[in-house]
Amino acid sequence: MNDILLTILAALVTTIMAFAVGMLYGGIVRKLTARVQNRVGPPIWQNFIDLLKLEFKTTNIHHGLMSHLGPVWIITAAVTTLMFIPILHGGMLLPGFSIENLTFKGDLIFLIYMMTFGSLGMALGAGETGNPNSAIGVTRGLSLMTGFEIPFVLALVSLMIQYQTTSIVGFMEIQEQSGTWMMFSNPFAFIAALMASLGMFRYSPFDIVGAPAELASGPASEFGGKYLGMMMSGGSIFAFIKLVLYVDIFMGGAHNIPELLLKTFVLYMVPVFYGWVNPRYRTEQAIRWFYKWPLIFGVMAIIWAIF
Amino acid sequence: MNVIVLILTILFAGAALSYFAKKITPQASSVVSFVAILSATILFFISGKPDAVNFSLGGFNLEWQLNDFGYIFAVIILVLATLISLYSISYMKGMPHLGYFNSNFMLSVASMMGIVLSNDFVSLFIFWEIMTWSSYLLVIYKGRQETSKIGIKYIIFSAVGAYAMLTAIVLINARVGTTNISEAIELGALGAENILIPILLLVGFSVKAATMPLHVWAPGAYSESPMSFTALFSGALSKMGVFGIAIVFSALMLDLEFSVSAMILQKIIMWLGGITAVVATLYALIQQDAKKLLAYSSVAQLGYITIGLASGTKLGVMAGLFMAVMHAGIKAVLFMAVGAVERQVGTTDMTKISGLIKKMPYTFFATLVAIIALAGVPPVGGFVGKWMLYETLITSNSYFLVIVIFLSSTAAFLYSYRILFGLFLGQEEDNVKDVKEAPLTMVIPMVFLSLFLIAAGTFPGIVFEPLANGMAYLGYVDVNWSMSMLQNVWGNEVHLVSISTTIGTVFVLAVIFITLMGYKNTRQVSTQDISTSGEIPWEHENMNYQQDFFKPFERAFSGMYKGDMGKFWVELGCALGSLANFVRKLYTGNGQTYAIYVVSFLALLLLIMNK
Repeated sequence: MNDILLTILAALVTTIMAFAVGMLYGGIVRKLTARVQNRVGPPIWQNFIDLLKLEFKTTNIHHGLMSHLGPVWIITAAVTTLMFIPILHGGMLLPGFSIENLTFKGDLIFLIYMMTFGSLGMALGAGETGNPNSAIGVTRGLSLMTGFEIPFVLALVSLMIQYQTTSIVGFMEIQEQSGTWMMFSNPFAFIAALMASLGMFRYSPFDIVGAPAELASGPASEFGGKYLGMMMSGGSIFAFIKLVLYVDIFMGGAHNIPELLLKTFVLYMVPVFYGWVNPRYRTEQAIRWFYKWPLIFGVMAIIWAIF
Repeated sequence: MNVIVLILTILFAGAALSYFAKKITPQASSVVSFVAILSATILFFISGKPDAVNFSLGGFNLEWQLNDFGYIFAVIILVLATLISLYSISYMKGMPHLGYFNSNFMLSVASMMGIVLSNDFVSLFIFWEIMTWSSYLLVIYKGRQETSKIGIKYIIFSAVGAYAMLTAIVLINARVGTTNISEAIELGALGAENILIPILLLVGFSVKAATMPLHVWAPGAYSESPMSFTALFSGALSKMGVFGIAIVFSALMLDLEFSVSAMILQKIIMWLGGITAVVATLYALIQQDAKKLLAYSSVAQLGYITIGLASGTKLGVMAGLFMAVMHAGIKAVLFMAVGAVERQVGTTDMTKISGLIKKMPYTFFATLVAIIALAGVPPVGGFVGKWMLYETLITSNSYFLVIVIFLSSTAAFLYSYRILFGLFLGQEEDNVKDVKEAPLTMVIPMVFLSLFLIAAGTFPGIVFEPLANGMAYLGYVDVNWSMSMLQNVWGNEVHLVSISTTIGTVFVLAVIFITLMGYKNTRQVSTQDISTSGEIPWEHENMNYQQDFFKPFERAFSGMYKGDMGKFWVELGCALGSLANFVRKLYTGNGQTYAIYVVSFLALLLLIMNK
């Protein structure tokens, strides 16, 4: 009984931490972007303020069961994925809690599919709103996914065949034993995965889904209030998940929280920096981009792994 | 009376009875076919393992027996046929030629059962031909101009397949002197040293499984038949190809040592499966018609199954068979759902309908589950098959094929969303205002099958058990399986119960949270009530986004849309025609020309002999 309670507690702490870090990173990026554009910018905790505002809105509108559940799918996918990812070394959630989470019970292929669960559910919710722009956004998002998934999977598959395992814990142990990070033991895989991450985080030039400032008039965004709030939280957790996944696989994982924060933050700056100097692509350009250098690096990673 | 004979008798007699029953009322014909199939199914499940039937026909020893491998497919056929014939009672109501439809439907069910019960190639071939003809008659059921074209395509490809199969059977008989399947396999007739026999058999079976390049008939035939037959066509009938391919490949792979020619054949078939999956997916996502979309998707899914079976590893064959079972359920649900929409709305063109979710909630639920399974997202059954396939390919050195499959399954998300959005979501059009949910007899089969798909996602063991027995019959030793855990050869595991409970718990908590939070401020508005900024709408106008849904994707992949396999076959036909034309010129009808032929042949013969 005690064990179950502790597990639930640990799960809660992990979720809250992932949520807080994700939101904070988002706020920092907003601030940094503003400074780069010579604006003052919002304070770094602006995202928390926004979330509170959204949760206490006096009107919440939905268009039916699927649009009511849309944000639920996203948060379900985010929290579930989080439970199957080792945050720190040794399967421990946080110092002080010596409880194993579920990381041994799922592998990478499962995680790749689990991460799409949220997008698909979200797409259903957006579809039911009847807003033509949400359907356009969904088609853009799904099309973009066909772009960045391929170099990402190429990179992961190359590591899997190089080290004969498909589990993240396995990858972390291998790096711990050999003392080399995977970004050095298979550099091509890291480059391909890093390029894929540009599309995954959807910063410019791949911000074709959110596409800020693209609509001058006509039907505006349909999700609001508590729905938007939940989507924001889910999105923040997802940002954290992707970062931790990359750190675990390519950068040897982390032994404590400061190390984790440092590594994830450095990684997070890559798509942000790239976005600052690039204007938005059209959808087909964005897809094609991934079928040039990222694909070539991915194939090289596999060749590297075989020989 | 022997149970096998009894089941086949019930089914064949049902075919005849349902034809004559339409004389009473047309509806009686559908009811008769349902009752016949249901009684055959009940008999099948209560009778345990039946005895073999042996008899002699035209000098061949025929043997019918239910083996462990055939059992998998017999269950697929009978369960699907029962549910679909129940569905068909309402679906076909008021349509013409019900007697014709139902008797052919029964004939195809009966012949499929015959195929899986056959233990020798001769009766397999006979049943195979009955199946081809009865399905052909159903493909041309609508009797329109384009329907007959599609029918001719189907029958020509089937005929080519049948000739290939017949040649293979003759070769087997000539080589080992028996047509019994298991004896022939034991004597090595399907082995690698005479590679022509497996190739010919594969051609014959691949036509029904619609593998590239023999898939050309499938999209048309699937979408033109009445949906209640297409559900069976894509769900069960295409699995007969899978049935054959699995037998041929396991004989080939387990045949002592891998020979080079067997390895090459294996690689070719796997890549053909991969190319089938990608190309058919790309074509599926640009379709405007839901039926066409599903038809292409069906071809793509059979590509995955072919890869799994051809991989020859235990996990791969298990993945192929598991996906075959899942695909039977998924495509049966989806075609039934599209049929329900067609019956209630009158069209399946996705540019003309939208917003059916509130009108047909149960159909939507079934479609949603089937689509999640199709996309391979956990925690529904499709994921299990996909996972096993990926792990097989990664652990057995097929690295680039993995990428091809990943591309096709990522692109499959696009058409999965397309069909859900196209039919059920989006703004409600005026033409669906008065649409009602389909009748109960149509809803029950769909919902039942979708519940099975959900169960298989957490407890795939219910499917693994018969599959493992079937594989043991085919000669794979020590097939591991467990109720709700997946494992690859490197020892990496996926625990499905943990996954399902986590997803379930978080989902329920989040639903409670979002429903209760600000409950009083929450209200539901219609899909036509959307906020607009920057302009004042004069009056309501629908803004449905349906035309050219994935245009940017199409542009990005424009190079992939240029080829057309249909043209290849037409050109091949033309080339064969001109070859035949040339041969015809040799027969001048003039006795003197023939005399020259004879003399020159003799001269040639003498020249060679003198050497």
